[in-house]
Amino acid sequence: MSEKGEVDLTGVKQNTGVWLVKVPKYLAQQWAKAPGRGEVGKIRICKKGNQGKPEVSFTLNEELTTIEGIEDKTVSAPRDHPFTMQSVGGQMLAVFTESSSDKLALEGVVVQRAECRPAVSESYMKLKRLQIEESSKPARLSQQLLKPVTTNYKPVAIHDYNREYERKKKEEGKRARSDKQQVLDMLFSAFEKHQYYNIKDLVDITKQPVTYLKEILRDIGIYNVKGTHKNTWELKPEYRHYQAEEKTDE
Amino acid sequence: MFLDIFCFILQSGSGPSTTEYTVRVPKNTSKKYNIMAFNAGDRVNCSSWTQARMERDMSARRIYGEEETPESGAGSEFGKKQREEARRKKFGIVTREFKVEDQPWILKVNGKAGKRFKGIKKGGVTENASYYIFTQCPDGAFEAFPVHGWYNFTQQAKHRTLTAEEAEEEWGRRNKVVNHFSIMLQRRLREQGGCEDDEDETEKGGKKKKKGGQKGGDLRLHDLDDDLEMSSDDSDSSMGEDGESKAKAKKDLGKGKAKKKKQKSHDKEAIEDSDDGDYEGLEVDYMSEESRSDHQNLLFFFFICIDEMSESEEESEEEKQNEEEAKEEEEEEGKKTPVQVENKKKKDSSGESDSSDDSDIEGETASALFMVKKRTPPKRPGGRGSAGSSRTGSRPGTPSIDSASTSSTLRAAASKLEQGKRQIQAAGTDSPAAKRLKMEPSSQSPVPSGKSTPQPPSGKSTPSSSDVQLTEDAVRRYLIRKPMTTKDLLKKFQTKRTGLSSEQTVNVLAQILKRLNPERKMVNDKMHFYLTE
Repeated sequence: MSEKGEVDLTGVKQNTGVWLVKVPKYLAQQWAKAPGRGEVGKIRICKKGNQGKPEVSFTLNEELTTIEGIEDKTVSAPRDHPFTMQSVGGQMLAVFTESSSDKLALEGVVVQRAECRPAVSESYMKLKRLQIEESSKPARLSQQLLKPVTTNYKPVAIHDYNREYERKKKEEGKRARSDKQQVLDMLFSAFEKHQYYNIKDLVDITKQPVTYLKEILRDIGIYNVKGTHKNTWELKPEYRHYQAEEKTDE
Repeated sequence: MFLDIFCFILQSGSGPSTTEYTVRVPKNTSKKYNIMAFNAGDRVNCSSWTQARMERDMSARRIYGEEETPESGAGSEFGKKQREEARRKKFGIVTREFKVEDQPWILKVNGKAGKRFKGIKKGGVTENASYYIFTQCPDGAFEAFPVHGWYNFTQQAKHRTLTAEEAEEEWGRRNKVVNHFSIMLQRRLREQGGCEDDEDETEKGGKKKKKGGQKGGDLRLHDLDDDLEMSSDDSDSSMGEDGESKAKAKKDLGKGKAKKKKQKSHDKEAIEDSDDGDYEGLEVDYMSEESRSDHQNLLFFFFICIDEMSESEEESEEEKQNEEEAKEEEEEEGKKTPVQVENKKKKDSSGESDSSDDSDIEGETASALFMVKKRTPPKRPGGRGSAGSSRTGSRPGTPSIDSASTSSTLRAAASKLEQGKRQIQAAGTDSPAAKRLKMEPSSQSPVPSGKSTPQPPSGKSTPSSSDVQLTEDAVRRYLIRKPMTTKDLLKKFQTKRTGLSSEQTVNVLAQILKRLNPERKMVNDKMHFYLTE
């Protein structure tokens, strides 16, 4: 496992220099739509004479300028984007990659920072306006319903509940006391799965009347407050064999 | 690579020149690009790294993690999960998921000995704008990769830091402590001291170092009230301490504990528990009948002292002298519990100084008992050496001991024990100096005389008349027959019948017992001696 976590340092060794460019959101979206090999545009570096800073500018490809806005408004994105060059400053910025197979590699060091700014144009303004409109819309909306809601009356007794209640009564009636042995078996198998049980849950599981069940439980189990507010039943220590999964009976 | 471009452009002449490159955004990258940002101040140079390992820091998982209660089997509860979930929903508690993606990175450079960095994800990087990494390909085109995450890497401290509690403590003392370098040193020493046994010596050793360190490095600025006391104690005790600790080493540890701890506890400012308070309340009332057992205790100590005396007499005595010099004013701090006890008694008695010589004597008796072994009369810097050395020599004890004070005190002790015989001798020498150790004034006479040792002669005593002789054989007989306390023994050898004075009796008996070295056992809370033949 020495592979895992090992960072591939070839990029740093070669002194690979990269640029870190901040790109506006819409442009990034457009780039994501790039077809084919992923060509999105051209970058032009213009050097003015011997001195002076180089001017870098990016031109977006024609095909990518169409932005499909919402509500069928298509705006065209500006094409020209000059880069504003910035120095890295004292800060050391390195680039590392994480592959899908969790391999880490250090690609290189940032030598230049830049910001991609759109050239101010009519299309940009339109785009911006659209964006603002979209973002200014509230997230929640009040809407008037055309048809009033008629499905929820306030019944005296809820119909569904009523039905269920009657059904339950018919089906179960009073819980019958089955054989003590059977109940014990059920209890033991239940306690195999979990150590602590609520009395209600046990009644549910065993389908026994509460008093009868409590009697049986008093024999084989203990009732503990356990510090939490729920009071739970658990088996007595002599009946417990949680590792071996054996249960002594009676 | 870009530098090359610019250089190329530079070279190509004075006119403006432009070069164009295609920009590609590859679509199928399996690799996610991230930024690793370092602090400018750290001066990290990536090219100097020979080897690097990085992995996610998963320590937050258990915080976010699941309940400790087991899911099934022992210890689990039926329906626990659902109930917990329902409860959380009811209270509106929303627990944030533990996302591996958002966990910090731990970067280790150059193996174990190298640097360690922690990279914490910076939030909000990709929200409003996207960052792209432009790299130039061999074919001259640029490739742009979106940045997935930004991690700020900071160096992890390798040195030891204070925990939160310790930091708070130090913060409280920030005005007092000037030497901040000693803080970590003390912490380290404290840890060492805590690991060792609870022996006084080791503790003291450690604390002494600590104290020494403090003294050496610190200029302690004291607040007025409580600290003034402390500082005076400090200065007083610092001299005596070295001697003391050695002395302590030799003497009975248990007894020494009281005084030592008391001293040290001042300095420690409640860093350690001072258990010298256990001994503080011990008061022995010499005036009353009920204090007989205390007399026995005293005698017991006395005998123990005699035992110890055989081990290391000289050194301890010398140092005792030093101690006493240092400790003169500090009456509160008796050297040993009995001494402390005795001091208290003395103070009590000195209150009524003139009234009763008896009380004086009683007080002194106890001290005399110890003086036998330990005490040289204090406040006698000059004559100390001789006194000390002379003590060890076992001179034949003159029945009438010149050193008035010691004799009177011994006698008084013996007389008190016998419950009725008081021989007041040379009480006049005991000037009841208020609040002074009784030894001090009384020492005037003995020292010039080349102080005779109050120590009972190692030889036999000289009984004048002999109904009952205080001999070793006699004592042995008694002890073989049945276990006896010192008091019992003394009763057997009454002064009227042996012809010895009471203090002689005590001395001689002590000597004999030392020689016999009987076995001891506690019966009814009283120490009995016995021999088995």
